[in-house]
Amino acid sequence: MAKAAVAVAKSYEREGRRGAAADYDVGLMLAFQKDNELAFQELVERNHSRVIGLIYRFISDASDAEDLAQEVFLRIYRARKTYKPTAKFSTWMFRITANVSLNALRSRANRRDDVSIDQMSDFGDGPRAMPDPDSRLPDLHLHQSELQEKVREAIQALPEKQQVAVILNKYEGMSYADIARTIGCTTMAVKSLLARARDNLKDRLLLYIRTGRGRQRVS
Amino acid sequence: MPSPCQWVRSVLAACLDGELKPSTAKAVRRHLEGCESCRAHARLLKESWRLLDEAPPVPGCPRFTERMMARIVEEKDLSAFASRLRPHRVRRQVVASVAGLAAGLVFGFAVYTWTGLPTEPASPVEREVSRNVSFLEDADLLDEIAVIEAMDRLMSPDETGDGA
Repeated sequence: MAKAAVAVAKSYEREGRRGAAADYDVGLMLAFQKDNELAFQELVERNHSRVIGLIYRFISDASDAEDLAQEVFLRIYRARKTYKPTAKFSTWMFRITANVSLNALRSRANRRDDVSIDQMSDFGDGPRAMPDPDSRLPDLHLHQSELQEKVREAIQALPEKQQVAVILNKYEGMSYADIARTIGCTTMAVKSLLARARDNLKDRLLLYIRTGRGRQRVS
Repeated sequence: MPSPCQWVRSVLAACLDGELKPSTAKAVRRHLEGCESCRAHARLLKESWRLLDEAPPVPGCPRFTERMMARIVEEKDLSAFASRLRPHRVRRQVVASVAGLAAGLVFGFAVYTWTGLPTEPASPVEREVSRNVSFLEDADLLDEIAVIEAMDRLMSPDETGDGA
């Protein structure tokens, strides 16, 4: 345990500082700003599960999630000199996490585009076998892993901002106000984002709500 | 002006998340009690939101902090190495800039001495003459001026003796 870091962090609480500075992690970050590396180590220890969890919700790959989580903490490490405790530490950390995750998703999408263009040139522009429309219908006996996959697909099909709002709200339990601070918009905008996101998710998962195994029937 | 159903559906998600003011939430609940269609919509929203709990569980990541701190050590080594390189790099950049400037000056001077600066005639008369010469050069008449002058001399009264 980083005793010095804890002492600094607790001193912020004792002094009755309000808002961001009352945040224990902010105390650790400020201690780290004064070159206390143990404070950084404790920040990593305290927060890595949440960061990895959040990234995993975006990219669904455990190994990539760990690499990207390292990237997040590396950015925090590099930003120590310019860090200002204007908000909760988690807000700042999740903003970095969302940016890193979305960048990874975008570069992944670009790679996929490149591959599909290459494949087109390999196969020419001739007619292709059309997918069987029935294959898109959900299986009545959907297995757990398939259902997980459908849910993952439904989230990843959302526009970027809706995706971030859903993940922060659903899996991090963040309030609309905290989400607004994290993604840099108003609470009203978050309300609208989540309303549209929930509508989209309802449309995409509608068939699974009605046919999912052992699930409550809605209608 | 949205209908009551449209309004309720626009705030339903916030209502389910407990993000509405109590008075607004009460109005939404009152509407739901009397509107079967909006109640069904609300149930679908709730159920689809609940389905998100079926997302794959997040895998554990043991000894992450250890690996992270090892990476920090690498980062520090790299930045120390980069800072050791920096003075040499700056010196090299200064030397290259000075050498480039000197080469540019030498080249410019050489071009100047080889071609000479274009001179502009000062007076209107000189400018007129210069324009005429340019015209004659363009029309390839300059070589024939001597012939024309010789013919002029032959034709003049002094040379022919007509004026005598």
